[in-house]
Amino acid sequence: MNRRVTRIDELARDIPPPRDLWPAIQQAIAAPAVEATSATNTRRRAAWMPAIGLAAGVALVAVGVLIGRNIAPEAVPVASTLQSSSNPESGSSSIRPAALRDAEYRKQRDQLIVEVQDRLQAMPEAERAKVAASLKTLQRSIQEIEAALGRDPANALLQELLVSSCQEEMRALTAVRDAGRQEI
Amino acid sequence: MKPDTVVEFDVALIERARRGDAKAFERLYRDHVGRVHGLCLRMTRNPDLAADCCQDAFIKAWKALPRFEARASFSTWLHRIAVNTVLEKRRSPSKVEMAVEDPGEYEEPVMHFDTPVEEEELEAAIASLPQGARDALVLCGLYGYEHSEAASMLGIAVGTCKAQLHRARGLLKDRLERGVR
Repeated sequence: MNRRVTRIDELARDIPPPRDLWPAIQQAIAAPAVEATSATNTRRRAAWMPAIGLAAGVALVAVGVLIGRNIAPEAVPVASTLQSSSNPESGSSSIRPAALRDAEYRKQRDQLIVEVQDRLQAMPEAERAKVAASLKTLQRSIQEIEAALGRDPANALLQELLVSSCQEEMRALTAVRDAGRQEI
Repeated sequence: MKPDTVVEFDVALIERARRGDAKAFERLYRDHVGRVHGLCLRMTRNPDLAADCCQDAFIKAWKALPRFEARASFSTWLHRIAVNTVLEKRRSPSKVEMAVEDPGEYEEPVMHFDTPVEEEELEAAIASLPQGARDALVLCGLYGYEHSEAASMLGIAVGTCKAQLHRARGLLKDRLERGVR
């Protein structure tokens, strides 16, 4: 029904468009955002290339631990080698992913370190030095990842790297311990 | 919802949209699209062109949001962008500003009719007005902008805006009396 008006401002001011314009608007305004996100990701990747290098280093060191027993090196003090990089009292532990702060994990790791220390003491000096050096490098890598996480706690890539590096450390420690058991 | 609450709600949405929140901007779009489209439709008289102008206006608004000053009216700011968009789409916008007559002191922008007029008839009469006169009538008479605001939006002098409105009222009255559809 056609309404009658006596004033021009009684006409409807709101006239909805014949179609929903939002999808096209959304597409138009999303395009630059996608580009920006892509650029940010590129920068983020570039910024964390050293971290990826650390992870690669961790993997190589783990391999070194396994083969280290058969390579002849010089003597290294054992006592200072197996420091607890995941010491719950240290400041860096607070930024660790929850799984790595788990009491069970710490307990298992501490137990492994005790066993590996015993095993290292029993090794020939050359072999002991090589294995200890590999483990120390592994732990230094973990500490560096933790330090980077301290500067950027929300970085998912670093968190993943830390978890995988700690798992690698556990595998290496276990391999050294089990190698000793097999020889016994 | 009280007007103050609406304003506060808009401010919160605008702030979120400024930070890149597309959902907040969609809400602003939903709240304002009818009025912006109505303005575009009355200025262009072309439904397709009006929809295009409306769409472009919101895209421009999104891009310009970082420059929007919170103390200004978002609605007015949005309408200004829409008017600019319509003017850009016109092939020869400079011809809009034409000397009509001495603007002098004109009556109130709101136009009253002695006898009630059918909406459809009135819309048709407005659509039949010359571009410059129609722009002034739509902005001042229908959307309630002051001459200074409308003139600023249209890129014309305040006196010209007054003259265009005066001309629009005369033509509209004449056309309604003649029953122009």
